[in-house]
Amino acid sequence: MNAIPVLTIEDVATLDGVLGDFLKKAEAELTVVIDRGGNVISQYGDIDVMDVTVIAALAAGSFAATRELARRIGEIEFNALYHQGNGNHMFMNSVDDDTIMITVFGSRTTVGLVRFYSATTAQNVAGILKTLQHNNQGFSFDAKDISTAPIFSDQ
Amino acid sequence: MSIINYASREIQFKIVYYGPALCGKTTNLNYIHQRINPMNRGDLVSLATASERTLFFDFLPLNAVVIKGFVTKFQLYTVPGQVIYNATRQLVLRSVDGMVFVADSQWEKMEENVESFKNLADNLVRQNTSIDDMPCVLEYNKRDLPNIAPVNYMEYVLNNRKKRLQSFEVISSTGQNVFAALNAVSQILLHKFSKQNDVPQTALLPVAIPVELPSPQAQDISA
Repeated sequence: MNAIPVLTIEDVATLDGVLGDFLKKAEAELTVVIDRGGNVISQYGDIDVMDVTVIAALAAGSFAATRELARRIGEIEFNALYHQGNGNHMFMNSVDDDTIMITVFGSRTTVGLVRFYSATTAQNVAGILKTLQHNNQGFSFDAKDISTAPIFSDQ
Repeated sequence: MSIINYASREIQFKIVYYGPALCGKTTNLNYIHQRINPMNRGDLVSLATASERTLFFDFLPLNAVVIKGFVTKFQLYTVPGQVIYNATRQLVLRSVDGMVFVADSQWEKMEENVESFKNLADNLVRQNTSIDDMPCVLEYNKRDLPNIAPVNYMEYVLNNRKKRLQSFEVISSTGQNVFAALNAVSQILLHKFSKQNDVPQTALLPVAIPVELPSPQAQDISA
Protein backbone atom coordinates (compact mmCIF):
# COMPACT_ATOMS: atom_id res chain seq x y z
CA MET A 1 0.00 0.00 0.00
CA ASN A 2 1.27 3.47 -0.91
CA ALA A 3 0.44 6.58 1.08
CA ILE A 4 0.17 10.19 -0.01
CA PRO A 5 1.90 12.89 2.07
CA VAL A 6 -0.70 14.89 3.97
CA LEU A 7 -0.95 18.56 4.88
CA THR A 8 -3.35 18.67 7.83
CA ILE A 9 -5.53 21.69 8.59
CA GLU A 10 -3.06 22.59 11.37
CA ASP A 11 -0.07 22.30 8.98
CA VAL A 12 -1.78 24.56 6.45
CA ALA A 13 -2.62 27.08 9.22
CA THR A 14 1.04 27.12 10.35
CA LEU A 15 2.27 27.65 6.78
CA ASP A 16 -0.39 30.32 6.20
CA GLY A 17 0.81 32.16 9.31
CA VAL A 18 4.41 32.26 8.06
CA LEU A 19 3.44 33.20 4.48
CA GLY A 20 0.90 35.82 5.63
CA ASP A 21 3.50 37.47 7.82
CA PHE A 22 5.94 37.49 4.88
CA LEU A 23 3.42 39.10 2.49
CA LYS A 24 2.62 41.78 5.05
CA LYS A 25 6.27 42.67 5.66
CA ALA A 26 7.35 42.45 2.01
CA GLU A 27 4.15 44.14 0.78
CA ALA A 28 3.81 41.52 -1.95
CA GLU A 29 0.58 40.24 -3.55
CA LEU A 30 0.90 36.48 -3.61
CA THR A 31 3.23 33.75 -2.47
CA VAL A 32 3.11 30.09 -3.45
CA VAL A 33 5.18 27.20 -2.10
CA ILE A 34 5.60 24.45 -4.68
CA ASP A 35 7.57 21.25 -5.04
CA ARG A 36 10.09 21.05 -7.86
CA GLY A 37 7.71 18.89 -9.86
CA GLY A 38 5.26 21.81 -10.08
CA ASN A 39 2.74 20.72 -7.41
CA VAL A 40 1.31 23.46 -5.18
CA ILE A 41 2.02 22.81 -1.49
CA SER A 42 0.67 26.05 -0.04
CA GLN A 43 -0.45 29.46 -1.27
CA TYR A 44 -1.33 32.75 0.33
CA GLY A 45 -2.47 36.14 -0.90
CA ASP A 46 -4.49 37.45 -3.81
CA ILE A 47 -5.00 34.07 -5.51
CA ASP A 48 -8.26 34.86 -7.32
CA VAL A 49 -6.61 36.92 -10.04
CA MET A 50 -4.09 34.28 -11.12
CA ASP A 51 -4.14 30.62 -12.08
CA VAL A 52 -1.80 29.35 -9.38
CA THR A 53 -1.65 25.83 -10.88
CA VAL A 54 -0.25 27.12 -14.16
CA ILE A 55 2.12 29.53 -12.41
CA ALA A 56 3.45 26.62 -10.32
CA ALA A 57 4.06 24.39 -13.36
CA LEU A 58 5.81 27.13 -15.31
CA ALA A 59 7.83 28.39 -12.35
CA ALA A 60 9.10 24.87 -11.57
CA GLY A 61 10.12 24.56 -15.23
CA SER A 62 11.76 27.98 -15.26
CA PHE A 63 13.69 27.25 -12.07
CA ALA A 64 14.88 23.88 -13.34
CA ALA A 65 15.81 25.22 -16.77
CA THR A 66 18.33 27.68 -15.35
CA ARG A 67 20.17 24.94 -13.49
CA GLU A 68 22.35 24.12 -16.47
CA LEU A 69 23.11 27.82 -16.91
CA ALA A 70 24.23 27.95 -13.27
CA ARG A 71 26.52 24.97 -13.79
CA ARG A 72 28.31 26.85 -16.59
CA ILE A 73 29.55 29.37 -14.08
CA GLY A 74 30.44 26.81 -11.45
CA GLU A 75 27.23 26.91 -9.38
CA ILE A 76 25.05 23.90 -8.55
CA GLU A 77 21.96 26.00 -9.22
CA PHE A 78 20.77 29.59 -8.88
CA ASN A 79 19.05 29.74 -5.51
CA ALA A 80 16.97 32.76 -6.52
CA LEU A 81 15.49 34.06 -9.78
CA TYR A 82 13.86 37.38 -10.54
CA HIS A 83 11.57 38.10 -13.49
CA GLN A 84 10.94 41.80 -13.97
CA GLY A 85 7.77 43.01 -15.65
CA ASN A 86 6.38 46.48 -16.29
CA GLY A 87 3.98 46.49 -13.35
CA ASN A 88 4.15 43.02 -11.85
CA HIS A 89 7.22 41.00 -11.04
CA MET A 90 8.08 37.52 -9.84
CA PHE A 91 10.75 36.40 -7.42
CA MET A 92 11.54 32.72 -6.88
CA ASN A 93 13.85 31.29 -4.28
CA SER A 94 14.88 27.83 -3.20
CA VAL A 95 13.40 26.57 0.08
CA ASP A 96 15.11 23.17 0.19
CA ASP A 97 16.16 20.42 -2.24
CA ASP A 98 12.54 19.65 -3.11
CA THR A 99 10.76 22.96 -2.67
CA ILE A 100 10.62 26.44 -4.21
CA MET A 101 8.86 29.60 -3.05
CA ILE A 102 7.34 31.99 -5.61
CA THR A 103 6.41 35.59 -4.80
CA VAL A 104 4.40 37.87 -7.10
CA PHE A 105 4.61 41.56 -6.29
CA GLY A 106 3.70 44.91 -7.80
CA SER A 107 4.96 48.49 -7.74
CA ARG A 108 4.19 49.22 -4.08
CA THR A 109 7.28 47.29 -2.98
CA THR A 110 10.80 46.55 -4.24
CA VAL A 111 12.70 43.42 -5.19
CA GLY A 112 15.18 44.17 -2.40
CA LEU A 113 12.47 44.06 0.25
CA VAL A 114 10.97 40.87 -1.18
CA ARG A 115 14.40 39.23 -1.40
CA PHE A 116 15.26 40.26 2.18
CA TYR A 117 12.13 38.83 3.79
CA SER A 118 11.89 35.79 1.53
CA ALA A 119 15.24 34.47 2.79
CA THR A 120 14.05 34.09 6.40
CA THR A 121 10.60 32.94 5.27
CA ALA A 122 12.17 30.19 3.15
CA GLN A 123 14.13 29.01 6.20
CA ASN A 124 10.96 28.94 8.30
CA VAL A 125 9.01 27.07 5.58
CA ALA A 126 11.86 24.56 5.22
CA GLY A 127 11.72 23.94 8.99
CA ILE A 128 7.95 23.33 8.89
CA LEU A 129 8.21 20.98 5.91
CA LYS A 130 11.02 19.03 7.59
CA THR A 131 8.83 18.51 10.67
CA LEU A 132 6.00 17.34 8.40
CA GLN A 133 8.21 14.76 6.70
CA HIS A 134 9.19 13.31 10.09
CA ASN A 135 5.68 13.19 11.51
CA ASN A 136 3.75 12.33 8.34
CA GLN A 137 1.88 9.03 8.44
CA GLY A 138 0.48 9.57 4.94
CA PHE A 139 -3.02 8.93 3.71
CA SER A 140 -4.62 6.26 1.58
CA PHE A 141 -8.20 5.96 0.37
CA ASP A 142 -10.74 3.28 0.79
CA ALA A 143 -11.16 1.68 -2.65
CA LYS A 144 -14.95 2.04 -2.31
CA ASP A 145 -14.55 5.84 -2.07
CA ILE A 146 -13.11 5.97 -5.60
CA SER A 147 -15.70 6.57 -8.29
CA THR A 148 -16.10 3.66 -10.69
CA ALA A 149 -17.56 5.87 -13.43
CA PRO A 150 -15.16 7.23 -16.08
CA ILE A 151 -13.31 10.13 -14.48
CA PHE A 152 -13.15 12.28 -17.60
CA SER A 153 -15.68 12.27 -20.41
CA ASP A 154 -15.61 13.32 -24.04
CA GLN A 155 -18.30 16.01 -24.38
CA MET B 1 4.97 13.15 -5.68
CA SER B 2 1.32 13.85 -5.11
CA ILE B 3 0.23 15.73 -2.01
CA ILE B 4 -3.07 15.93 -0.17
CA ASN B 5 -4.23 19.20 1.38
CA TYR B 6 -6.81 18.66 4.10
CA ALA B 7 -7.58 22.38 4.46
CA SER B 8 -8.68 22.78 0.83
CA ARG B 9 -9.58 19.05 0.51
CA GLU B 10 -7.51 18.78 -2.65
CA ILE B 11 -5.26 16.05 -4.01
CA GLN B 12 -2.83 16.65 -6.88
CA PHE B 13 -1.48 14.07 -9.31
CA LYS B 14 0.97 14.52 -12.16
CA ILE B 15 0.54 12.47 -15.34
CA VAL B 16 3.17 12.68 -18.08
CA TYR B 17 2.64 11.78 -21.77
CA TYR B 18 5.90 10.29 -23.04
CA GLY B 19 6.98 8.96 -26.44
CA PRO B 20 9.14 9.54 -29.52
CA ALA B 21 9.12 12.75 -31.57
CA LEU B 22 5.92 13.46 -33.51
CA CYS B 23 4.05 10.47 -32.02
CA GLY B 24 1.03 12.58 -30.99
CA LYS B 25 1.58 13.53 -27.33
CA THR B 26 0.58 17.16 -27.82
CA THR B 27 -2.34 16.07 -30.03
CA ASN B 28 -3.62 14.00 -27.08
CA LEU B 29 -3.60 17.05 -24.81
CA ASN B 30 -5.14 19.27 -27.50
CA TYR B 31 -8.01 16.82 -27.94
CA ILE B 32 -8.61 16.53 -24.18
CA HIS B 33 -8.53 20.34 -23.89
CA GLN B 34 -11.05 20.75 -26.72
CA ARG B 35 -13.48 18.07 -25.60
CA ILE B 36 -13.55 18.11 -21.82
CA ASN B 37 -16.08 20.24 -19.99
CA PRO B 38 -14.47 23.71 -19.68
CA MET B 39 -15.58 23.80 -16.03
CA ASN B 40 -13.18 20.91 -15.34
CA ARG B 41 -10.06 22.24 -16.98
CA GLY B 42 -7.64 25.15 -16.92
CA ASP B 43 -5.69 26.67 -19.80
CA LEU B 44 -3.55 24.51 -22.06
CA VAL B 45 -0.05 25.94 -21.89
CA SER B 46 2.40 24.98 -24.65
CA LEU B 47 6.07 25.86 -24.55
CA ALA B 48 6.76 25.12 -28.20
CA THR B 49 8.96 26.35 -31.05
CA ALA B 50 7.60 28.48 -33.92
CA SER B 51 7.04 25.26 -35.87
CA GLU B 52 4.88 23.87 -33.02
CA ARG B 53 7.44 21.30 -31.88
CA THR B 54 7.39 20.93 -28.09
CA LEU B 55 10.44 22.69 -26.69
CA PHE B 56 9.90 22.24 -22.96
CA PHE B 57 6.47 20.82 -22.18
CA ASP B 58 2.73 21.20 -22.66
CA PHE B 59 0.64 21.50 -19.54
CA LEU B 60 -3.07 20.98 -18.95
CA PRO B 61 -4.63 21.06 -15.47
CA LEU B 62 -7.86 19.04 -14.96
CA ASN B 63 -10.22 18.84 -11.99
CA ALA B 64 -12.46 15.94 -11.06
CA VAL B 65 -14.41 14.68 -8.07
CA VAL B 66 -13.49 11.02 -7.93
CA ILE B 67 -12.75 10.42 -4.29
CA LYS B 68 -15.48 11.04 -1.80
CA GLY B 69 -15.04 14.46 -0.23
CA PHE B 70 -11.96 15.55 -2.19
CA VAL B 71 -11.32 17.59 -5.34
CA THR B 72 -8.74 15.71 -7.39
CA LYS B 73 -6.45 17.77 -9.59
CA PHE B 74 -4.74 15.95 -12.44
CA GLN B 75 -1.89 17.84 -14.07
CA LEU B 76 -1.14 16.54 -17.56
CA TYR B 77 2.30 17.20 -19.03
CA THR B 78 3.97 16.18 -22.28
CA VAL B 79 7.71 15.90 -22.81
CA PRO B 80 9.66 16.95 -25.91
CA GLY B 81 10.13 13.75 -27.94
CA GLN B 82 13.27 14.71 -29.81
CA VAL B 83 16.28 12.68 -28.66
CA ILE B 84 18.45 15.72 -27.85
CA TYR B 85 16.02 16.98 -25.18
CA ASN B 86 16.63 14.24 -22.62
CA ALA B 87 17.64 16.69 -19.87
CA THR B 88 14.26 18.41 -20.33
CA ARG B 89 12.43 15.08 -20.16
CA GLN B 90 14.15 14.32 -16.86
CA LEU B 91 12.99 17.68 -15.48
CA VAL B 92 9.39 17.11 -16.53
CA LEU B 93 9.41 13.61 -15.03
CA ARG B 94 10.23 14.99 -11.59
CA SER B 95 7.49 14.03 -9.07
CA VAL B 96 5.54 12.11 -11.73
CA ASP B 97 2.66 9.94 -10.48
CA GLY B 98 1.45 8.31 -13.71
CA MET B 99 2.55 7.82 -17.32
CA VAL B 100 0.94 7.46 -20.74
CA PHE B 101 3.46 6.13 -23.26
CA VAL B 102 2.40 7.15 -26.77
CA ALA B 103 3.84 4.91 -29.48
CA ASP B 104 3.67 5.67 -33.19
CA SER B 105 2.14 2.64 -34.96
CA GLN B 106 3.93 3.19 -38.27
CA TRP B 107 6.45 0.48 -39.16
CA GLU B 108 9.28 2.95 -39.76
CA LYS B 109 8.81 4.43 -36.25
CA MET B 110 9.19 1.13 -34.40
CA GLU B 111 12.88 1.62 -33.63
CA GLU B 112 12.16 5.13 -32.26
CA ASN B 113 9.34 3.69 -30.11
CA VAL B 114 11.67 1.11 -28.59
CA GLU B 115 14.41 3.70 -28.08
CA SER B 116 11.99 6.11 -26.40
CA PHE B 117 10.56 3.40 -24.15
CA LYS B 118 14.06 2.41 -23.08
CA ASN B 119 14.82 6.08 -22.46
CA LEU B 120 11.69 6.33 -20.28
CA ALA B 121 12.77 3.27 -18.27
CA ASP B 122 16.26 4.78 -17.77
CA ASN B 123 14.84 8.16 -16.75
CA LEU B 124 12.44 6.56 -14.26
CA VAL B 125 15.37 4.74 -12.65
CA ARG B 126 16.98 8.17 -12.18
CA GLN B 127 13.81 9.13 -10.27
CA ASN B 128 14.26 6.04 -8.07
CA THR B 129 11.25 4.31 -9.59
CA SER B 130 10.55 1.94 -12.50
CA ILE B 131 7.97 1.08 -15.15
CA ASP B 132 6.74 -1.78 -12.93
CA ASP B 133 6.12 0.56 -9.97
CA MET B 134 4.65 3.42 -12.01
CA PRO B 135 0.97 3.54 -13.03
CA CYS B 136 1.39 3.45 -16.80
CA VAL B 137 -0.65 2.69 -19.93
CA LEU B 138 0.38 2.35 -23.57
CA GLU B 139 -1.21 4.13 -26.52
CA TYR B 140 -0.67 2.66 -30.00
CA ASN B 141 -1.38 5.86 -31.88
CA LYS B 142 -2.11 6.68 -35.54
CA ARG B 143 -4.15 3.50 -36.12
CA ASP B 144 -5.82 5.26 -39.09
CA LEU B 145 -2.62 5.33 -41.18
CA PRO B 146 -2.02 2.71 -43.90
CA ASN B 147 1.54 1.59 -43.03
CA ILE B 148 1.00 0.47 -39.45
CA ALA B 149 2.21 -2.56 -37.53
CA PRO B 150 -0.42 -4.99 -36.21
CA VAL B 151 -1.34 -4.50 -32.56
CA ASN B 152 -0.03 -7.88 -31.47
CA TYR B 153 3.35 -7.00 -32.99
CA MET B 154 3.41 -3.72 -31.04
CA GLU B 155 2.51 -5.66 -27.90
CA TYR B 156 5.44 -7.99 -28.61
CA VAL B 157 7.83 -5.08 -29.14
CA LEU B 158 6.72 -2.75 -26.32
CA ASN B 159 4.70 -4.77 -23.83
CA ASN B 160 6.35 -8.16 -23.67
CA ARG B 161 7.17 -8.32 -19.98
CA LYS B 162 6.07 -10.17 -16.88
CA LYS B 163 3.83 -7.34 -15.67
CA ARG B 164 2.09 -6.17 -18.85
CA LEU B 165 0.63 -2.70 -19.19
CA GLN B 166 -2.88 -1.90 -20.33
CA SER B 167 -2.77 -0.72 -23.97
CA PHE B 168 -5.11 1.14 -26.30
CA GLU B 169 -5.48 1.53 -30.07
CA VAL B 170 -5.62 5.28 -30.44
CA ILE B 171 -6.20 7.86 -33.16
CA SER B 172 -5.32 11.03 -31.26
CA SER B 173 -6.29 13.32 -34.17
CA THR B 174 -9.92 12.14 -33.99
CA GLY B 175 -9.85 11.33 -30.28
CA GLN B 176 -10.40 7.58 -30.54
CA ASN B 177 -9.53 6.06 -27.15
CA VAL B 178 -7.77 9.23 -25.96
CA PHE B 179 -10.14 9.52 -22.98
CA ALA B 180 -10.11 5.75 -22.44
CA ALA B 181 -6.33 5.81 -21.95
CA LEU B 182 -6.51 8.86 -19.66
CA ASN B 183 -9.27 7.30 -17.57
CA ALA B 184 -7.36 4.02 -17.32
CA VAL B 185 -4.14 5.59 -16.06
CA SER B 186 -6.12 7.77 -13.64
CA GLN B 187 -7.90 4.73 -12.18
CA ILE B 188 -4.65 2.76 -11.84
CA LEU B 189 -3.08 5.78 -10.17
CA LEU B 190 -5.93 6.26 -7.69
CA HIS B 191 -6.00 2.57 -6.82
CA LYS B 192 -2.28 2.63 -6.15
CA PHE B 193 -3.11 4.80 -3.14
CA SER B 194 -6.13 2.81 -1.99
CA LYS B 195 -5.97 0.61 1.08
CA GLN B 196 -7.02 -2.44 -0.91
CA ASN B 197 -4.70 -1.65 -3.82
CA ASP B 198 -7.05 -3.55 -6.17
CA VAL B 199 -6.39 -2.12 -9.61
CA PRO B 200 -9.35 -2.78 -11.94
CA GLN B 201 -8.41 -5.55 -14.33
CA THR B 202 -9.14 -5.44 -18.04
CA ALA B 203 -8.37 -7.93 -20.78
CA LEU B 204 -4.94 -7.44 -22.29
CA LEU B 205 -4.35 -7.44 -26.02
CA PRO B 206 -2.62 -10.53 -27.48
CA VAL B 207 1.12 -10.57 -28.02
CA ALA B 208 2.49 -11.71 -31.38
CA ILE B 209 4.35 -15.00 -31.28
CA PRO B 210 7.61 -14.39 -33.12
CA VAL B 211 7.90 -16.69 -36.13
CA GLU B 212 11.29 -17.30 -37.68
CA LEU B 213 10.98 -16.65 -41.37
CA PRO B 214 12.66 -19.20 -43.70
CA SER B 215 16.00 -17.94 -44.96
CA PRO B 216 16.26 -17.16 -48.71
CA GLN B 217 18.70 -20.11 -49.03
CA ALA B 218 16.17 -22.55 -47.57
CA GLN B 219 13.53 -21.20 -49.95
CA ASP B 220 15.85 -21.85 -52.89
CA ILE B 221 16.39 -25.48 -51.85
CA SER B 222 12.70 -26.20 -51.54
CA ALA B 223 12.13 -24.61 -54.93
